[in-house]
Amino acid sequence: MKLFLTLVFFGIVTLNTNAQELLVEAESFDDPGGWVVDPQFVEQMGSPYLMAHGMGKVVKNARTKVNFTKKGKYHIWVRTMNWSPGEWDAPGKFKLKVNDKLFEKSLGLRSGWGWEYVGELALVANKPTQLELLDETGFNGRCDAVYFSMSDKAPPSALEKIATWRKTVTAETNIPEITKYYDLVVVGGGIAGCAAAIAAAEQNLSVALIHDRPVLGGNASSEIRVHTLGIYGHFERILKMLDTEHYPNGSSKAKLDQEKRDKNVKSFSNIDLFLNWRAYDAKAYSDVIRFVDARQTATGERLRFGAPLFVDATGDGWIGYWAGAEFSYGRESKDTYGEEWDKWGELWSPKEADDAVMGSSVLWQSKKANQKQNFPNVPWAMTVAKNHTAINGEWYWEFSRNDLSQIEDAEEIRDHMLKAIYGSFANAKQLVKNDSLTLDWVSYLVGKRESRRLIGDHIFTFKDVVDERKFPDAVVIETREIDVHYQKVLTDEQHPDFMSEALFYKTPEYYIPYRSLYSKNISNLFMAGRNFSCSHIGLGGPRVMRTTGQMGAAVGFAAALCKKHKVNPREIYTNYLKEYMDLIASQKNRLIQNTKK
Amino acid sequence: MKIVIRIIFLVFISFLMQCALPNLKVKKDSTLVKKPAFYDLGWEPNTKLSKGHLPIFIETDTVGRQQLFVLSNNNTPVLYSAQITTPVCADGDCKLMNITLYWTLLGDYAGFDTDENRPLTKHDHDEFLPEDYLKLHQLLLDNNSILKNRTIDELVTSPKQLQLEGIDALSGATITEVKESVVLGALYSCYVAWHLVHNSGVKEKIKTHTASMESTALRVAMLYEDNTEYQLYALERLSLEQYTNHFKRISAVYKNSIPLVRSLIIKRMPFTFWRTSELQYEFWNSFSEVDVNTRSLLLKQLNEVPIQVLETLSEELSIMTKNQLKVYLGAIKTHHTQIHNTIKVFANSEHNTYSYIAKEFLERQE
Repeated sequence: MKLFLTLVFFGIVTLNTNAQELLVEAESFDDPGGWVVDPQFVEQMGSPYLMAHGMGKVVKNARTKVNFTKKGKYHIWVRTMNWSPGEWDAPGKFKLKVNDKLFEKSLGLRSGWGWEYVGELALVANKPTQLELLDETGFNGRCDAVYFSMSDKAPPSALEKIATWRKTVTAETNIPEITKYYDLVVVGGGIAGCAAAIAAAEQNLSVALIHDRPVLGGNASSEIRVHTLGIYGHFERILKMLDTEHYPNGSSKAKLDQEKRDKNVKSFSNIDLFLNWRAYDAKAYSDVIRFVDARQTATGERLRFGAPLFVDATGDGWIGYWAGAEFSYGRESKDTYGEEWDKWGELWSPKEADDAVMGSSVLWQSKKANQKQNFPNVPWAMTVAKNHTAINGEWYWEFSRNDLSQIEDAEEIRDHMLKAIYGSFANAKQLVKNDSLTLDWVSYLVGKRESRRLIGDHIFTFKDVVDERKFPDAVVIETREIDVHYQKVLTDEQHPDFMSEALFYKTPEYYIPYRSLYSKNISNLFMAGRNFSCSHIGLGGPRVMRTTGQMGAAVGFAAALCKKHKVNPREIYTNYLKEYMDLIASQKNRLIQNTKK
Repeated sequence: MKIVIRIIFLVFISFLMQCALPNLKVKKDSTLVKKPAFYDLGWEPNTKLSKGHLPIFIETDTVGRQQLFVLSNNNTPVLYSAQITTPVCADGDCKLMNITLYWTLLGDYAGFDTDENRPLTKHDHDEFLPEDYLKLHQLLLDNNSILKNRTIDELVTSPKQLQLEGIDALSGATITEVKESVVLGALYSCYVAWHLVHNSGVKEKIKTHTASMESTALRVAMLYEDNTEYQLYALERLSLEQYTNHFKRISAVYKNSIPLVRSLIIKRMPFTFWRTSELQYEFWNSFSEVDVNTRSLLLKQLNEVPIQVLETLSEELSIMTKNQLKVYLGAIKTHHTQIHNTIKVFANSEHNTYSYIAKEFLERQE
């Protein structure tokens, strides 16, 4: 890997000999030390980045080596951001060391992503130069890239200019050089994506499963730790390979289910698993997706994936979005689909449509140590945490606001939750009874409930639940109540703004039709997971992960019939529904003992 | 065996109550002149509410069928009430709980009274202390209490036992939340009272009855109450003309009510408000005092506003969120020296989270 990186940097410099500049992506460092690669916000801020997520304890240095082709004096910048500016020290400070030279200037001070000038240094050519990031605080300092240039002109900070600039510096071509072909490409390795991949693989399709994290499961993974709820429907065999026990949200027991899930998915020889690969584009022509392009989150290596069929299980509906699929976001008015519930009025479904949606959670836990543990003061967190005191999180640690998009503003949402967590824990540490408590685990991944909803031939709504509609193509069955959240602060301003409340509508059983699982206008696109075709209230029930897993399995089987008959997803409903529903029904009869669990 | 005894006792008590209730009703006062001991609505001095029978009943397994009354002031309905006598059982030990419950015109909990000769008691037969009554009142005010979706058995059985029985255990957080919300030693009484108030179907019956008596006068009266549910109800139903006629009250509600009510006001504000300077100033001038969600809804009207509003808002840049700031800057179509100077000061401040957005805006303008 190290050799590869060196060659990449060498290549960059060689291609730009006249520019005498070098861009080193932080996520590509040979050894990230205690820093983590965060690829969640690439579409908004431009790149994966390294973050010193030490929960208040300084993390180990990140290191890499690069080669310069020209010796001389270089100006150095880092791309960074102060994630909580104010009248206090920045929470995430760090320093840069180049070979033996430690630059004294603390970095991570500017508001908004952009370049901070580090200093100037003479460097020699064709000899490895070591770069080192030194965390100073343990509180989520972040570094996207280090830039060397013989010119003293700072690179552009404005987001609209940075993408073009980056392409120029790295001389990156538009199209990945290698294309891989499959029967089915599944993007997103949450429970829905995994179930889709397994169902299709069981039917002997060749499958690519692309996922931007090192572990599978999405919100159920050991990185986010939400337990799976809902029933198995027709797909007990598949979902038991993927789901979790009913431990409290945030429990470290999630690690055991993680092992099970990863092992099961990896056991299919016809699933090519691309962990740590994040899709960044989908190319559609005449409403047919031809390719999905993805990038390795650390190395930057790129691949193109071709297939006749694609599954968007990204949660945010990115594949559909890039391909031009119709989608919705926000709350419909109560009259749009007749979703009024008088009991909860505006909190349930508003008179006028708006952009409010259910929020995202960041879970966390503390643990008892044998002796007294200190926790630093976190003044930069107190504007959010205020007087709130807590020693761990649960599902109701949730943040949403009507001006924030759960997609475009996800980094701000995550950072708001980090302030809520660190501030509430700092308050708890003021109490003598919590002397021995220390933070055990704080997720840095946003656990989203709601984002884009791609539109299919049927939009699943609350009315389908209330009326207990039995569709001819009902492939998902669920008994769990509809569960819609709102922020408590809307009804009582005394509550912290990061706490939510749940409203439940009990139902004996409801069904989701297959027509909600493929795009209305992109002819070869399935969707499974929270980005399936539904209204805001319609999402309230099926967003839990055994239900989304059912969706995934259902589209995996549909994909197999699409291949068999050489048709698109819609034609399974119009021409092959009986065969499809028989295939779905037959899943219940397949023995669970025969699975790879 | 214990369960059998409990069932027999319940049936017996219910039977006694059915026989006794008509006599009890006759004995009760036909007016209410004193504010209920625990009460969540306004009560003017010298209020005298007359009690009227309604063809509405609360019906549950434990209380049987008990009459609902409407309490009116000069024939305008103000409250609903019911005098409840219900058995409360714990571990086979049952006793009667006597309580008068009050509901608002929309079927929400309004308060309760107890008979001083028959105070509420705990499991160990100790009488409720003043703070216990207050805690019960707080619990009943919470229409989304943790008690809502739980059976009493779930609340009293240990998580271990539930797991043995194949039931999902309550999490530690839930158990703590239950303990914190009920009166210590009176879980059963709290549980029964909460479910009578919120989960007996009475809310829907009351709402239907109120709707049958709805009039412009009633809607307007509700707008002038401090109860947020009344305000939401009225605001959803007021005509454009009534919005204008009651502008002063609406702007006062806007300033003093909860975010949910404010957002409805902004969303439903007739278009003419945004065309009339003096009407909209009331709302813009309190920009810094209202919640962040309401500010975002307000800013959606920016394209209609006079330049003075943009000037006023330029002093509030530091309290705007990132996206609010973008909306504000996007509304500045022409160069305005005073506004630009204020933006410059903001952009150059080190301590503003979003000063970089203002900087980028100014760069684009150059």
